[in-house]
Parts: sequence; structure tokens; C-alpha cells
Amino acid sequence: MTVNLCPVKSPCSHWLFVLLLAAGASALAALTPEQVAQLPPPATHPLNFSQEIKPIFEASCVKCHGRSRANGGFRIDSRATLLKGGDTGPALVVGKSAESLLVELVTCMDPDNVMPKKGTKLTREQVGVLRAWIDQGAVWDANITFARAEPANLKTRRPDLPKNRTKDANPIDRLLEPYFVANKIKPLKPVDDRTYARRVYLDVIGLLPPPEALEAFVADSSKDKRRQLVRRLLADQEGYALHWLSFWNDMLRNDYQGTGYIDGGRKQITQWLFSSLETNKPYNQFVAELVNPTPESEGFVKGIVWRGVVNASQTPAMQAAQGVSQVFMGVNLKCASCHDSFVNDWTLADAYGLAGVYADGPLEMVHCDKPTGKIAAPKFIYAQLGELATSTNKAVRLQHLAQLITERQDGRLSRTLVNRLWQKFFGRGLVEPLDDMEHLAWNPDLLDWLAEDFADHGYDVKHLIEVMLTSRAYQLPTTPATEQVGSDFVFHGPQVRRLSAEQFRDAVGALTGVWYGSPATKFLRADGSTNHFTATRAALVAADPLQLALGRPNREQVLTSRASAATTLQALELTNGAELAGVLASGAEKAMVVPAPANDVVTQLYAKALGRKPTRAEAQLATSLVGQPIQKNGVEDLLWGLTMMPEFQLIY
Amino acid sequence: MKITPQWSRRNFLKTASAATLSALAASFPRAVISAEALTEKIKATADTVIVLWMGGGMAHTETFDPKRYTPFEKGMAPDSFLSTFPSIPTAVDGIQFTEGLEKMAAVMDRGTLIRTYTAGDLGFILHSRHQFHWHTGYAPPQTVAAPHLGAVIARTLGPLNPAVPAFINIGQRFDNGEGEELKAFTTAGFLGSEYGPLNIPFPDQATDTVRPPGGMTPGRFEDRNKFYKKLLAASPVGEHGSDYQKESLLRSLDNAHRLLSSPAAKAFDLSLEPLDSIRKYVPSYEPAQRFTAERDRFGAKYEDQMVGRFGLGCLLARRLTEVGARYIEVTTEYIPFFNWDTHENGHSRLVAMKKQIDAPIAQLVLDLEARGLLSRTLIVLASEFSRDAMIEGKPDKLIKDQVEIPIKVEDPKHYGMHRHFTDAGSVLLYGGGMKHGHLHGLTADERPCKTIKDRVIIEDLHASIYRAVGISPKLAYEIEKRPFYTTRDGLGKPVMDLFA
Repeated sequence: MTVNLCPVKSPCSHWLFVLLLAAGASALAALTPEQVAQLPPPATHPLNFSQEIKPIFEASCVKCHGRSRANGGFRIDSRATLLKGGDTGPALVVGKSAESLLVELVTCMDPDNVMPKKGTKLTREQVGVLRAWIDQGAVWDANITFARAEPANLKTRRPDLPKNRTKDANPIDRLLEPYFVANKIKPLKPVDDRTYARRVYLDVIGLLPPPEALEAFVADSSKDKRRQLVRRLLADQEGYALHWLSFWNDMLRNDYQGTGYIDGGRKQITQWLFSSLETNKPYNQFVAELVNPTPESEGFVKGIVWRGVVNASQTPAMQAAQGVSQVFMGVNLKCASCHDSFVNDWTLADAYGLAGVYADGPLEMVHCDKPTGKIAAPKFIYAQLGELATSTNKAVRLQHLAQLITERQDGRLSRTLVNRLWQKFFGRGLVEPLDDMEHLAWNPDLLDWLAEDFADHGYDVKHLIEVMLTSRAYQLPTTPATEQVGSDFVFHGPQVRRLSAEQFRDAVGALTGVWYGSPATKFLRADGSTNHFTATRAALVAADPLQLALGRPNREQVLTSRASAATTLQALELTNGAELAGVLASGAEKAMVVPAPANDVVTQLYAKALGRKPTRAEAQLATSLVGQPIQKNGVEDLLWGLTMMPEFQLIY
Repeated sequence: MKITPQWSRRNFLKTASAATLSALAASFPRAVISAEALTEKIKATADTVIVLWMGGGMAHTETFDPKRYTPFEKGMAPDSFLSTFPSIPTAVDGIQFTEGLEKMAAVMDRGTLIRTYTAGDLGFILHSRHQFHWHTGYAPPQTVAAPHLGAVIARTLGPLNPAVPAFINIGQRFDNGEGEELKAFTTAGFLGSEYGPLNIPFPDQATDTVRPPGGMTPGRFEDRNKFYKKLLAASPVGEHGSDYQKESLLRSLDNAHRLLSSPAAKAFDLSLEPLDSIRKYVPSYEPAQRFTAERDRFGAKYEDQMVGRFGLGCLLARRLTEVGARYIEVTTEYIPFFNWDTHENGHSRLVAMKKQIDAPIAQLVLDLEARGLLSRTLIVLASEFSRDAMIEGKPDKLIKDQVEIPIKVEDPKHYGMHRHFTDAGSVLLYGGGMKHGHLHGLTADERPCKTIKDRVIIEDLHASIYRAVGISPKLAYEIEKRPFYTTRDGLGKPVMDLFA
């Protein structure tokens, strides 16, 4: 049973209520003899720092005085900083606990000045332990520090590839072999050709495999036909660009319509993005052009500006800091844009440092909407990658920032993208959450090797995709998606995924031959043509109610992954929404122009929609529905039925 | 296509309860149960909320807070009038409205009137930005997509009747000047689309949202669903692969089908309402009247063609309340420079606006009362800010004038409240645990007609609405590992003076 020393006013302060400002910095008077007599007596046994003191510091002190936080000017990173004390003087007198300020503060001698200010107060027993430790010389195990930890996943690291029985095995599989052994997993057989083809078509170009191409692939007896297929798809510049356009539009908060455009508070980067994807611009260059933009790519760091007063945590410079760190470095600075973060180590000064790079002039730090009077020195969040040039010239700063982020020694840039692509293909990232790359991967060797290989290959995104999609790991049968995000995750294979809004609409387009009208804006192709596309796919137009219902976001914020679970409003849109109903009706009309026999219609639709022949039972059902000769309503209802099948909407 | 045997449907269902599935389907944000929220036991006084939205900025001195009336006179000084309507008595002694709101005045004894709602200081008047602020409690832009009031209620309380979408939004289109800005807050944001609005821009066509797609008979619709079930059963993947993706897809389709074929769907069909009952909401209603206005979308005839649209929205709100909707919003529709957004002709246009709202709002109150539903339904009439003839913004925080005021008023088009005023505004509340015949707050009788006593800000208004439905203003949902509070930073305090 533990007893708190102090009467607790409120059980736990609200994160956001409590300003992390230092306590009034008046020096404290020494304790009177009566007060000393009231102190809990020191423990009488020899103290063990790591077992008895460290837990107390961690529970009650580190949040405000550790990991580079220095509230009240006081840090307990190490013994030295502890002894040095803070604004109110030395924290302790070694050997004399009763004279130590630290003891006075944690025992509630002055009800207005009690430590810790937040969180669990110390019990009498704990104070006794703390006193004994001070009295016994405040011995500190030099291995223990409460300083900010070395950032994870930042330095480049090249793990060795384990030896493998098959010498030409994909590196991912060579790295995973010991993992499977350690986790007692016998990998299952790779999926069949049809399942594999459907996956890679959707993952590379976002379309279903056309029946003829699929049959040819299945019939192909060459050994490396799967790799050949992936390469063919990657070489499809139009298909590739139009599929990945949506991924990057979400991430870079770019769209054809949205808030801000009404009065010039926002700028599109559509053409720059499309061209970058079409030409497979190396990723380091891609990022550099976004961080230190040209007029074509500046829309991303310019943010969204609404007329009127904007909260300090959402000024354009701060939006740029948040966007750049989140998208490219997997770092969430949003909390730290208002106050030192409570959920990670980032501080207000870190966020303002990066925002300062983008600010047009000196940037004053604002703490929870209250100006602090302090000017943020422009800096990059990871000093480990190099000091940012101190220049009053914004262009110089941006140029140097882009250089720091994209230099070969930045292992975070490559890891972050590797992780995003892994999550896209496998349903769950190597590191989760995606935007918190300070977490360790469930297989660090895999992440690190892929990141190095990606950088070695000139940051060629298509190379990275090829490595992933030709791995045996990717070819494993799917496992059900779960919400499992904890450290107990064990990789068995890719998770079942759902078609994105754009994939769904494009799949329906391919099934019915009914696409969108014309692109939302001008797309200049690499060959000099304009808006010259095989079909107007979903990514080329502004979101309609169907796409919105299926999860295409209105791109007001950076969004790095979409929710994939089905909702009732989505289903309502699919069941009676005008958009889908219209497309299916037009599709049925097309089929009626030269009516084919019912059997042929059914066989064709199954091939297009599901990439297979109908079973006998399915064929019977479907032909009786479409009628003989075929009826428009029957075809329309069959189209609807097929597109509602889990087999159609999910990626197995 | 082969599915790993260890993940069979049976196994999956054994381990995944219905609750897990719905949690999975709900795309994740979890409530952060704050200590306060837990200890504070709030007894709900309302099950349903109806927000009647006066989009565009409703002048308080022209509606529910009459000040000195000065009739139009050629050559009058622009600062010589505070109200362009004479005041009228209401059913409550000491509370006056302005002329044109007689029916609402007669039911004031059922309501509570706040005269001191004060809009946020956003530094510039952009209607949609203030509307964003009103509906989410946060000023845009935000680092995460802020959810609409209706979405928070839908997420926290769920549907009252599972066959009726929890958040229904009536009367607003999104293809006008600030449509994108309106879309930015008419959303469940990070809470996930499950809690987003079912948008019904035209109440007379509400039934289209819950009936089979255009041209499909109910019989064919049923057959299509039966066929689908058979097809599913015949599919070789049908009974094998099982995972939450598939379960949530099938469940959502079932939910949609249940909604489309449930008796509750009839509530959306206004043609089932007797004509004399419709005419209590819209006296000029002609059978089968449609409000598409496609010939002249937002042009000069827009307001004429929309007469009765808001009234039908109120009627629809009543019908939906009867079948168990959770949150309904009915708007007069915000279109820049239309409806309440009076940059000129303020007086004459308010005559028309009052005609639009007076009968249906009073009738909604009476109908809900007669059905015994008013005591558990909170009706909130509000607008993003108020208006004045002279002041732009607040007396102590003036902002750039957006409307030129002539030195002398020669033309009736300059007679009215044409500037945006944020230092006071009227909010009317009925039912749902609020006091009857109560007045909260006092405004000045001379220009600036600003708040003098008992100011109510958005955080506190939201906290009051949340409290009425049993939600703590300190409730927070977790997003990116941080708490996002239902009222900004959890600071909202319910205005207890409003509660009976």
C-alpha cells in the first residue's frame, strides 16, 4: 500500500491544460528543524541506482527534466546535470539529504511548490529511498542516462545478407529466412499465377489484369515470368504514373479542388508531380524539389492559407515544417508546434527551428497561442545529419535543408519511403505507425537493407518496387488484416487489402468500358502531348461522391494511409448512389449494342472482373439473370453483383 | 485463389466478436477517457439534436433582439437605424422579437433565447471559415481533419435507431463559391467516414437517398439483392477466406440494405405527409413541388425559387426525429450573397427570410411537442455571426470593411444590416432539457449593440449541446497519439443557466 504525501488536487492534469512553464524561480529557504523532523526517514539499506532510483526518476521526473527537456532550467540527463540543479540552485547536497532542495520539493513542504508538478507524487517510502541514495553519495550508474536517446532509424546501416540455400533468392527472403525460423513459421507456398497477377497489376498500375494478358501470363512457362511481368508493368509509364498519383496526392495534400484555391491561398503541384512519376524521378531529387521548391513544386510547402488570423501552429512556415518532417522523415511535429510534445521527445524549439527555415523573417516562438518573446533559430530536427547553414537568406537555408535531407548519409529518408511502400504492398509497415519512424522495425535488418539498396540504386523507386514484388514474402498467401499494431506482431504474409476508391472506380471502368469524361486539369505528357491517356482514370478527376464515399480524402491535411474498412455510408453509395448506378447502366447499354449470347457475356464479365471462369453454379445463376437473349437490366444487375463481391473489392 | 486454412471463417468468427468487428470497421480513433470525463456523470436530457442553420450571418437586431426601430426614409443617416423592423411581443413577458416572426413568437414559451453568442475572432470575415469554427469548435486550418459536431455525436452516441443514419445534413449544396470550404467541415474528419453526414441537399428528394437507384423498381431491387446473396454463396471464395475486410464489407452492405428496406426509410418520403400538414410548414406548397432550381442555380431568381425548401427541411427533420435520427441539421443554405448573407437590400431580403423560417420552425416545435418528443429533442437555431449596419467585426477588434456604406441612405437597398458583426448574436434553443420561456444574456440598446452580460462563446455553446446529450466537453478522441477534445482543449463549460 502506498500513501501519497501530498493532498491531490486533481488526479491527473490534462496534457494540454498544463503549461510546461517553469515554476516561480524564487530560491527556497532551508528547512526548519521542525520540518526536517517531519521528513520521511532515509531507508537503511544500501541503495541500488538502477533498481530503486531510476524507476522513481522515470515515473516522476523525466517527463519534464529528461530527454533534453529543461523545465525550470533543470535537467536530470546525468549525475552532473542533476547536481548542477536548475534556476533555483543546486538540486542536492551529496551526503546531506535533509539539506537537499530535491527532497524538500518532493515532500510537499511548500504546498505551492511541489514536485512533480504533474504525474505521480512520491510516496513516503520513495522519499526515504531517495534520501538514502543522496546520503550514500548519490552514486549514479554511468551507463544510465535520461538524455534524449540517439534517434532510431537515422544512420545508414548495411546488414549482411544471410547465406541461403538458393543463391539467387530475393534478398528479402534471405533476410526473412532466419526470422521465420526464429518464429517457428513454415512459410506457405506462393499464391497461384492469377492471384499474383491481380496483386501486381493493382500494386504497380492500379488496374485489374486484362483477361488476354492474364491468360498469356498463366500460359507462359518461362521461369522468371513473374519478374518479367513486374518489369513490364513498371515500364508502363502511364499506368504507373496514374496509379501513384493518388498515393502522392494524399501525401502531399494536392488536389484539383479544395479549400484555399478560392482566393490564392493554395497552389497545385499536379503537373510537377505527374511528370516526376511519369519519368520516375529519383526519389532524392523528388524530395529535394519539394523541400526547396521551384514554382512548379512549391504548392506543398506553401501550405493552405485561409484568410484571417491563423493559429501560430498552422502558419505556412509551420505547415511546411510539419509536412516535410512527416512525409519524408516519418516524424510528427504537430504536438511540438504548440508545446513540447507529450508523446515523443520533440520540443517547441525543434518545431520552430524547422519552421524558421521556411519563415520569411525571424520567427517568434508561440507556446499554446502565447508568444514567448524568443526567436527560433532556424535548424534541422536532426543535428546528427549536419548543422544547417545559418543564413538570413531563405533561399540559402532551403537549399541546404534539401541537401541535408537528401544526402546519402540520411538513412531516415530512404527508410521512411521503404516503410511506406512495404505498408502499401503488405498491408502493415515494417515500422508502425508509419509516421513515427523512431519506432523499431519488426525486422530492422530488412528495413535497413532495403533502404541501403534503394539508395545504392540511385533512389530508384521502381527498383525498390521490383525487389518487393518479386520477393517470395510478397507472394505468400494473405493473412487477415487485423488491428494488431503492438510489438507482438509476427509477419506471416501480406494482409488482405481493399481496393482504394480509385482502384475500385478504375476496375469498374475496365469492366464496363465506362470511364470519366475529361481530366480535371491539363496534364502535359513526357512525349509533349496533352491529356492524351488511354482512359480517363479516377486519379485524373476531382473526387465525386462515389470516390469520396470509398475513402478518397479531401486533401486538406497530409494523409499517409487511408482507412480501409467498409462503412455503411459507403455501402449506401454503392447500393443506390447515382454515380455507380449510372456507370453500370451505361455499361449494360454498351453490352446491348451488339448483344452476345448470355454465356459469352457471363464468361467475359467473370474474366474481366475476377480474372477467372465462373464455376458451373455461378454460370447458371448469372446466365439466368442476364436472360437469353440478354436483357439490359439483367446485365446491369450482374455487373452490380460482381462489383460487390469481396473477391472483386478485396486484394487476396 | 487459395486461402490459408488457419484463417478460416469459423476460426475468425470464434476470435472476433461483433464488437471487435464493428470497432475494426469504425476505422479506429479511440476515445481517450480522461479522468474528468469518467468522474463527471452526465445525465442526458436529449436523445436527438436538430440544428437549424441560418447560414450567411443572421442579424440579431433584425430577428430575435430588437433595438430601436427607424422606418426607411430617403436621405436618412446610415447609423440612424438599429432595427429595420418594429418589435413584436412574444408569449413570454419581457422577450420581444421583430416583426415577421409572429409564429415563432407564439412558441417562445417553449424556448430559451441566448442573445449573447459571440463568434470567434478569426481576423477576417470568411463565412465558411466561421462556419467551420462554429461546427467543429476549431478554426481552420487544423493539423488533423476536425470532425463536425454531428459526427462527434454520431461517433460517441451511435445511431438512435440502427436503421437511420446518425448524422443527416439537409439543405446544403457544395458546388457554389465556397463549396470546398463547406466540405472541409461537413465531414467526420479523422473520426472516419462511418460517422460522416448523409447529405440531402433537397428535402423533397430525400427519398432518393434511401430508395433503389433511379428507375429500379422495389421488386427488382429485392431480386438484385437475392441474386447477390446467391452469387456470394456460389463463389468459391465465398465461405473460405474470412477476415475483417470481408466481414466489414458484407456487414456494411447488409446495413445499407436494411436501411433501404426498413420502415424507417419511409420517413424520408415527404409525399407520404398529408397536404394540410405540409402546408403548416410551407403555406405556399403545391403537391409534387420540386426545388431543383437547375434553370437558375444561384442566380437572380434563386431566392424566389427556394421558397419552402427550408420549410420542407424542417418537416423532414420532424419525420426523421420520429423514427430515431440522432443528429439532424437543416440549413437555409449558405451561398455567398444569398439568403442571410445580405450585403444589400437587407431589410427586404429579411422579410423574405423570415417568411422562410417562421412557420416551419414554430410548427416543428409544436409537432414535436404534440408527439411527446420535444422534451428529448434539442433544437438549436444558430448562425455563424450577426450583422450590423456600421461595424465590421467587433467594436474593439474592427476588421477590414467589406461593404461600402453611403453617407446618406437614398436607396432602400442600403437599408439593412450589411456588415459582419461578431460581438453578439442570437441562438434559440427548444426542448431537450432547456428552460421554457427563458432569456440568457443582455446586449446594449445603442450601437454597438454588443454583449453586455453573460457572453456565450462557441466552446460553451458546444459544451451545452454536448451536455444535453450526455457528452462531457472534456471527452477526447485519440489521433496521432494525442487527444483531440470535443471542445477546444477541453475548455468548454456548459452554460448551466440554460438548463431547466
